[in-house]
Amino acid sequence: MTQTTRRTFLAGSAATLGVLSVPIRLPAQEVTQPSAPGAYLRIGADNSVTCILPTCEMGQGTHTGQAQILAEELGADWQTIRIEMPVQPGPDYRLPFGQMRSVGSYGIRHWHDPMRRAAAQMRMMLIEAGASRLGVPADELSAVGGAIVHAAYGQAIPFGELVEAASALPVPADPVLRPEEERTLTGRTVPRLDTRVKVTGEAVFSMDVTLPDMAYGAVRMAPVFGSDVAAMNADSVRGMPGVIEVVQVPRGAVVVGESWWQAKQAADALDITFTETENDGLDTPAMEAEIQAALDRADVPMTLERGDLDGAFAGAAQVVEADYAVPMLAHVCMEPINCTAQATDDRVELWTGTQGHDWIRMGLERALGVTADQLIINTAYLGGGFGRKTWENEAIQAVMASRAVGGRPVKVIWAREDDVQQGLYRQTMQIRFRAGLSEDGRITAMRVRMAGPQMGAAIVRDNNMDPFSLLGLINIAYDIPNYALDHAVVPIPVPLSPWRSIAESFNGYFVESFIDELADAAGQDPLAFRLANLPAESRARPVLERVAEMADWSGAAPEGVSRGISVVESYNSYVAQVVEVTMEGERVRVPRVHAAIDCGRAINPGQVETQVQGSVIEALGAALRVKISLAGGRTEQTNFTDYPILRIDEAPQIDVAIVETGAPLGGVGEPGVPPLAGALCNAVFAATGQRIRSLPLADHGLA
Amino acid sequence: MTDFTLNGSGVSVEADPDTPLLWILRERMGLTGTKFGCGIGACGACTVHLDGQAVPSCSIPLSVAEGAEVTTIEGLSEGGLHPVQEAWIEIDVPQCGYCQTGQIMATAAMLAQVPEPTDEDIDSYLAGNICRCGVYPRIRAAAKRAAELSRT
Repeated sequence: MTQTTRRTFLAGSAATLGVLSVPIRLPAQEVTQPSAPGAYLRIGADNSVTCILPTCEMGQGTHTGQAQILAEELGADWQTIRIEMPVQPGPDYRLPFGQMRSVGSYGIRHWHDPMRRAAAQMRMMLIEAGASRLGVPADELSAVGGAIVHAAYGQAIPFGELVEAASALPVPADPVLRPEEERTLTGRTVPRLDTRVKVTGEAVFSMDVTLPDMAYGAVRMAPVFGSDVAAMNADSVRGMPGVIEVVQVPRGAVVVGESWWQAKQAADALDITFTETENDGLDTPAMEAEIQAALDRADVPMTLERGDLDGAFAGAAQVVEADYAVPMLAHVCMEPINCTAQATDDRVELWTGTQGHDWIRMGLERALGVTADQLIINTAYLGGGFGRKTWENEAIQAVMASRAVGGRPVKVIWAREDDVQQGLYRQTMQIRFRAGLSEDGRITAMRVRMAGPQMGAAIVRDNNMDPFSLLGLINIAYDIPNYALDHAVVPIPVPLSPWRSIAESFNGYFVESFIDELADAAGQDPLAFRLANLPAESRARPVLERVAEMADWSGAAPEGVSRGISVVESYNSYVAQVVEVTMEGERVRVPRVHAAIDCGRAINPGQVETQVQGSVIEALGAALRVKISLAGGRTEQTNFTDYPILRIDEAPQIDVAIVETGAPLGGVGEPGVPPLAGALCNAVFAATGQRIRSLPLADHGLA
Repeated sequence: MTDFTLNGSGVSVEADPDTPLLWILRERMGLTGTKFGCGIGACGACTVHLDGQAVPSCSIPLSVAEGAEVTTIEGLSEGGLHPVQEAWIEIDVPQCGYCQTGQIMATAAMLAQVPEPTDEDIDSYLAGNICRCGVYPRIRAAAKRAAELSRT
């Protein structure tokens, strides 16, 4: 090693005795923020390997995958690696869009290269220190199983013994990554790091955080969005057992009690009224009618246009049109919304399971003037996230509640009914397709009109180009020479939140259902039609071909079974699915689903499999029978009884194949969701001849 | 005062007898392995054993526990892991894991009654336990593996 002749930097290489620390830097950060605190990898004299990374663990398995990547490059034992979350959001933890959030299926694909680089730097420093200790050339040493090893001499020095010497060395600027043949820990199924504690009950979820002298908060919030507290009589519940304080918060109140049950009884009994708003008369049918009317609007700026649409339609052998719609959905994370705070005027400490660290930071600053340096966020395990746990409302409630009881820690817990009824839903959307087909079944033209809210309004610059509404349409996978897309924006007075796979969750259904309609109009097999209309080099082809093979698509379906197929790209991964349905009278049954995914290198194939299976279950439950609807401004659904997500007795067999094509890393947590509804409804069409142009199937009497 | 046996030891709890057992376990006894999910007995996250039966502790008033034997995930196995837990680890079942202690308690109660469960048995006994992450395929496999481990 010739570090002295190389550009080196010392920033982040901790001089602290007994600890070796190397920063994990995204490429841009090395230039702009060489000394900022950020993600880093650390080895202690006790051999412990800890990595500070800003991705929470909400079930997606990211911490295990990150440990595999680090351990492989470093030469450590993966089971000894601990992934910890930073307690203060900082600039170095931000995703490409500028916030520290655990979203967008970024956990592995965003951090993979920087993690490898830091681990390689650390390995080279440990080897250099080992070479000095043993008086041998560095190239005779290797890092294996948490030790620097000299194979010929039969010597092994644990990392921890070299930490002090290594921490005095410069961090190599140009680390040498391990060659492919030494990459034996990624690409292999290893068990999750967190399985045992989740099986014994020892895992501490946000809900389980317990602090000395902790009180509990139950909420009572305005039932209509946009409404706030009109009048509140705190004395109406002050005498109730266990009640400590009643705290007015934005849009409602937190009742603080010695137990959550007591607080909840009082919150329900609280004499509180809410302001009238123009949303008091809001009904879902009227909202949907307004969105539907926007499909006809003429004053919408074009988002995307290529080719000669008019000419192509004029020359088309046939033109096919169809409208589709999806309802609002709730996230219903298994762990209801909660946050624990211990807060005084100048210091706020939170214990919570959040995907949205920077959103909490910004929300507390905006609402309560809490500055970043006053804020500590301890991140516990999340009992699911799915895009719901990115917001700040419960943190504001907990901070206000704790301050109101003299800085005593307060754990605010929403009841399931609060979770279902207080919004942050997946948006309702509608779409109109018009497509021209050539004589031989090629899509020559497509005109797409989206109508509905614009979830990403804050980041939209031009022409309503909103990825939160339009991904999957902006980048439609098919080779369509004449194509136009616009979005008639219809704001709805309901708080929205990304729902696993965001826009792809509906655009996957819209596009893949309509493509099936085109295949039928062209008189072609749905698979053959897709392959004929995809670009020659499309990554959709290998997964389609693989899933067709798994389902024996070219063979006859088993007696009584009908099949539908689809393929969707999202988060730089491609997933194709074949859904098998049987009809039980009027009801659709789904005994089996086949899925093939290309996510680049599968770091942990077993986790890829279970993520895809879980995505299929989630999307199937949503497509069959759940929706959120409003009547009189209030959410009609309350709990799992009237928001019936899928249970085990309806879970299909789900076969997952991983297709590796050498593509860059893609996401895994979300891409299994988008193809399901389209493949399902295409199978229903094959079974019944009925096109399902709105979800859920229950609205059509089919589930 | 409500007296019952909790994970093999006698306990006395002074609380409103209408308080759901769930909150007594979590807040008074510090046994947070039993989870709050829905509050109406519709999701199974709070499943415990009451005299050997799997019940949703969110919907069982403390008074009902009087004189009963209550077992939570923390007391499922007196030493080491219960075969159901061993199977869950072997199959690497959990994702977020929040519902899993309830799934395990429901499975353990099922195996006590149905030592060799079929797919239909599993669907029937575990339909009360929602997994929002959708690890049902692995739960099925692990329930069968647990049955095997229980026999050896």
